Amino acid sequence: MKSIKILIAVVLLLSSFLSPAEIKNTSTENVKISGSCALCKEGIEAAAFQKNISRASWDKDTKMALVTYDNKKTSIDAVLKKVALAGYDNQSYLAPADAYAKLADCCNYERTVKNEVLAEKKMPEHQHGAVASSQKAADADPLQPVLEAYYAVKDALVNSDGNAASSNATRLVKAIKAVKMEQLGSQQHLIWMKVMKDLDFDADHISETKDIGHQRDHFSSLSDSMYQLIKSAKPSETVYYQHCPMAKEGKGANWLSQIPAIKNPYFGAQMLTCGKTTETIK
Amino acid sequence: MDFGKIAGVKAIFSIIILLLFSNLGQAQKIVRYDLYVKDTTVNFSGKPRRAIAVNGQIPMPTLTFTEGDTAEIYVHNELKEETSLHWHGLFLPNQYDGVPNLTQMPIKPHTTHLYRFAIIQNGTHWYHSHTGLQEQIGMYGSMILNKKKEPVIPTVPIILSEWTDMNPKNVHRMLHNASDWFAIKKGTTQSYSEAIRQGYLKTKVANEWKRMTAMDVSDVYYNQFLINGKNESQLAQFKPGDKVRLRISNAGASTYFWLTYAGGKMTVVANDGNDVEPVIVDRLIIAVSETYDVIVTIPQVNPGAKPTAYEFLVTSEDRTRSASLYLGEGVKQLATPLPRLNYFEGMKMMNGMMKMDGNLDDRGMNMSLNQMDMNLVMYPEITGPLPSKKMKETSQQGKKDNMEGMKMDNKKQLTESGHTDHNRYNSNALSAITTLNYAMLKSPVNTSLPKNAPVKELRFVLTGNMNRYVWSMDNKVVSERDKILIKKGQNIRMIIYNNSMMRHPMHLHGHDFRVLNGQGENAPMKNSIDIMPMETDTLEFAATESGDWFFHCHILYHMMSGMGAVFSYENSPVNPEIPNPRLAQRKLFADDREFHFMAENDVATNGNDGEAMLQNTRWNIGTEWRLGYNDYHGYEVETHVGRYLGKMQWLMPFIGFDWRYRKMGMDEVETNLFGQRNTKDKRSILSAGVNYTLPMLVSAQAEIFTDGNVRFQLERMDIPVSKRLRMNLMVNTDKEYMAALKYIFTKNAGVTAHYDSDMGFGVGLTMNY
Repeated sequence: MKSIKILIAVVLLLSSFLSPAEIKNTSTENVKISGSCALCKEGIEAAAFQKNISRASWDKDTKMALVTYDNKKTSIDAVLKKVALAGYDNQSYLAPADAYAKLADCCNYERTVKNEVLAEKKMPEHQHGAVASSQKAADADPLQPVLEAYYAVKDALVNSDGNAASSNATRLVKAIKAVKMEQLGSQQHLIWMKVMKDLDFDADHISETKDIGHQRDHFSSLSDSMYQLIKSAKPSETVYYQHCPMAKEGKGANWLSQIPAIKNPYFGAQMLTCGKTTETIK
Repeated sequence: MDFGKIAGVKAIFSIIILLLFSNLGQAQKIVRYDLYVKDTTVNFSGKPRRAIAVNGQIPMPTLTFTEGDTAEIYVHNELKEETSLHWHGLFLPNQYDGVPNLTQMPIKPHTTHLYRFAIIQNGTHWYHSHTGLQEQIGMYGSMILNKKKEPVIPTVPIILSEWTDMNPKNVHRMLHNASDWFAIKKGTTQSYSEAIRQGYLKTKVANEWKRMTAMDVSDVYYNQFLINGKNESQLAQFKPGDKVRLRISNAGASTYFWLTYAGGKMTVVANDGNDVEPVIVDRLIIAVSETYDVIVTIPQVNPGAKPTAYEFLVTSEDRTRSASLYLGEGVKQLATPLPRLNYFEGMKMMNGMMKMDGNLDDRGMNMSLNQMDMNLVMYPEITGPLPSKKMKETSQQGKKDNMEGMKMDNKKQLTESGHTDHNRYNSNALSAITTLNYAMLKSPVNTSLPKNAPVKELRFVLTGNMNRYVWSMDNKVVSERDKILIKKGQNIRMIIYNNSMMRHPMHLHGHDFRVLNGQGENAPMKNSIDIMPMETDTLEFAATESGDWFFHCHILYHMMSGMGAVFSYENSPVNPEIPNPRLAQRKLFADDREFHFMAENDVATNGNDGEAMLQNTRWNIGTEWRLGYNDYHGYEVETHVGRYLGKMQWLMPFIGFDWRYRKMGMDEVETNLFGQRNTKDKRSILSAGVNYTLPMLVSAQAEIFTDGNVRFQLERMDIPVSKRLRMNLMVNTDKEYMAALKYIFTKNAGVTAHYDSDMGFGVGLTMNY
C-alpha cells in the first residue's frame, strides 16, 4: 500500500505543474493583418495563440490585431510569421501561396502583393493534341480504344484513386464489348477469343469495387491478358511492358504503359518509380 | 548572440591590413589569415552553452582566396584541448590536410600551427576542425576560392549548421546506448499506440519482427538550425530583379538540409566547388559536407510598388525545424514550410526492403545517384497528406486538412495532365516539384581520366548497425582495417554499395572524384557524395598525390564510430608532421575504440535495481544489480563481459560472474524448470553463455554456471507503448519473471512500476545516464 501512496504523491506533484498560468513579461502591439470574415478571425487568432506565451484579438473592420505576448519567450515577428504561415498576410510577412489558397472561400481577402511570378510557374507545361491524335489512331487499330481505357485504369491506379479506376474500368468493359472482331488480324483474332473472357472478367471486377487493393489484384491478371493481346499485333503506338518485382507481396507483376518512365500502378506514390521496362512493343 | 569575449579583434585588423596589402601585389600573392581558436559561451536557444569561436565568431571567418594565391593560415590554439583544421575539398600537400594523427599531430593547447599551401583550384569550399566533435560546437567556416576572373554577380557565402544544447560528447554517448530521447524530443517514437491510432499496427509488428527499432532520417535532435550562425536574418541590400549567387556549404555535423526559395526556382551552377551546367530546380537536398552554388532571382515588382524580401528556407531533413534568410528589403514573402514526415509509411517501406538476415534487398531496382528517393513515401508534399487521423484534433484543424486534401487532389490531376508525355526521362515525373539529383549534374568540361593509366577497382559496402550505432565499411571500422594502398598514376575506381539503413555522405580528402552518372565525358566532379540505402554509386579518380588521405562518412558521429578508411600512396615521402607514425596511428584508432558508458538505477518501493554498461564496437561489459531492502528479498549482482559477433551483432557470447545472497525460510530450496536445485542463499559463481537477439527484438540468453546449473532467459526491453511509456518483460527457467512499465520524464529520469517474482510489486524513480 505504501507504493500506492507514493504513486498518488507523484500524481499530485505533477498536477501542480499543470495548473493554469498567465502570460508573463507581457508586451502588446497593434499590428495589421489581412483577412475578411469571421472565419479569418478564428484562423488568425488560433495561429497567434500559444499557451502562456502569445494571443491575439483581431478586428474584422479595421484589420488590426492586438497581440499580447511574452517578450522573453517570443517576439512580435515570430507571432506574425505563424499568422502568415496560416495564410494571412500581415505587416511583416506574406503568406506562402498555397497557405493562402487553403483558406476558406470567405477568407480569400484581396492580396496587395503580386504573386504573378509564382503563379506562372504553377501552370502545366503545355497541353497538346493527344486526344485528337488518338482519335485518328483508333480508326486504324480496332484495339486502340481498349488500350486507351486500359491506360486510364492504370493511371488511376498510379494515382491510387479507386473511384477513377472503377469508372475507367467501366469504360474498359464497354470498349471490350465494342471491339469488332472481324477487323482483327487472324493471329490476333485467335488471341482475342482466348483472352476476351478474362479481360472482361477482370475489368468488370475493377469497376465493381472502389477498394484499391482488390482492383490491383485484378489489374495484374488484366495486364497479363492485355500483354498477350497487344503483343500479337503491331500496336499503332509504342507500348512499354513494365515489371515491378515487389508487387503482389514480392511475386512481381507487370503492366503496359504508354510511356517509358516507370509510374507504378501497384504501389502508386508509395513506390512510384519501382520497376523497369522489360519489353518495348512497337 | 552574445559571445563572452570578443577575441582577436586585433587579429581581424591585421587581416584587413594584410588583405589591403596583398591586393597591391599581383603574381604569387601570399594571403595570410590568423585564426585564434578560443572557448566561448553562446546562447542559441535561450540557454548559455559552451562553444568554440574563432576570432570571436561562429561560424569561423570566411576565408577568401583567388586561384594562384598562396595561403598562409596561422592557427593559434587558445583552447585547453587539442585542435586541428581541415580544408574541405582542397587540393594541397598531404601534410597540410589537417587530419590529426594522420597527416599531422594535433595542435596542442597554446601553440600555433601554420598551414601553408598554394591555391590551385577555385570554387565554394569550407573548413572545419577534424578533432573530435569540435565541428559540432562552432568550428566551421566558409572558404571561398575565386577564379581569376569571377563572373560579376552579387555573391553571398552561406554556411549551414545546427546547434544542440547538449554536449556533443553526451550526444555521441547516447547514440551508442540506443537512447530514444532524441526520438521523444522530435516526436518520432513511432510507438505501438501511435501505430494503432494511425492504422499501422501490422507495419510496426513487422518492423520489430525484422529486429528494427523506430526509423528516422536522422539521429540527433537539434535545438536550432543556423544560416551563417543565425536562425533568421535578412540581406536587405538586394533589389527586385537582382540575381544573387548563394555559395552554400553544409557544415552540419549530422543534418541534411532541404533548400527552397520563396521567389521561385533556383539555378544550380556548381557543386562541391566545381562548375556544372546550370540546372533549374524547385528544391534540392544538400548532404552533410557538400557545397552548392545556387543562383536565385528576386522577383520584379510593378513600377512604383514596394519591394518584397523573399525567404530562402533551409529545413532539416527530419523537418523538425528550419532556418531562414530573407533576400531583399521590405515585407517578407515566406516559402511553404515542408510538412512533417509520414514515418509509418517510411517504416512500411523499410520493412519491404529489409530481409530477415538484416541485409537490404533492392529487388532489382538498381538504385543510384539519389534518383529514386525511397524516403519519398514519407513526403506529404509528394504523396499527399497524412491519413485523416488529424481530423480528430480540433474541428479547425479538421477543416484545414480537408482543404489540404482537396488541394492535393487538384494538384495531382494538374500534374498528371501536365506531363503524361513530357519529362518522360525525368525521375521527378511524379510531381510538379523538381528535385535535384546527381544524374542531373553535368560538368561543362571533359573530366575523363588519363586513358592509359592502370585501373585499380575497389568495392566497398557501407555497413551499419542502427541499434548499437556501429557504422563501418565492409563491417570494419577504421581501427580494424589496413590502409588501402594505391599507386601514383593509377586510376582508382570505387564501387560503393550502401547496405545500411541510413544515408551516408562519403567524403574523400584531397581529391575530386568523377561520379559516373550517365553524362559520359562530362561526369561531374565531387568530393562528397550522398549514398542512400540500397544505392550503388561508381566513382573514379586519378591518383596524382602522395601521402595518406582519409575517406569517410562525414556524419560526425558516424565518422567517430569508425566509418572510414585511409587511402595510402605507396612509397610516399615521410610526412614531417608525423614524427612517430605508430603513436599517431594508435591515437587515430582510439576514436572508434572508445568505450561508451551508460547506467540506470531504479529506486523502488520494493528494492533497488539497475545496470551499468561499458560498450564499444565489439565489446560489452555489463553489470546488473537487484538489491532488496531485506535479506528475504536478497541481493544479486550479475556481471557479463561479452563480444558481439557478426555484422548485425545479434550474437554475443559472454562470460559472467554472479553473486547472490538471500535468506529464505529454513531449508527452502528452489528448483528450476530442469529440476536443478539452487538455494541462492549465498552464491558466488562463474558462468559462460550466449546472448542472441530474436525477432521482435527479444534477447534470448543461455547461461551455464560453474555449479552445473543452466539458465535460459527471454527478455524484451523498452517496448515503445506510447510516446514516453516503455515496457520491459522478462522470464527465465529459474521461474523468475518481471514486467515493468516506465514513463520517461526527462533525458535522465523516469518513473517505473514493476512486478518482480523475487521482490513483488514496486514503484520507483528511475535515473539513467
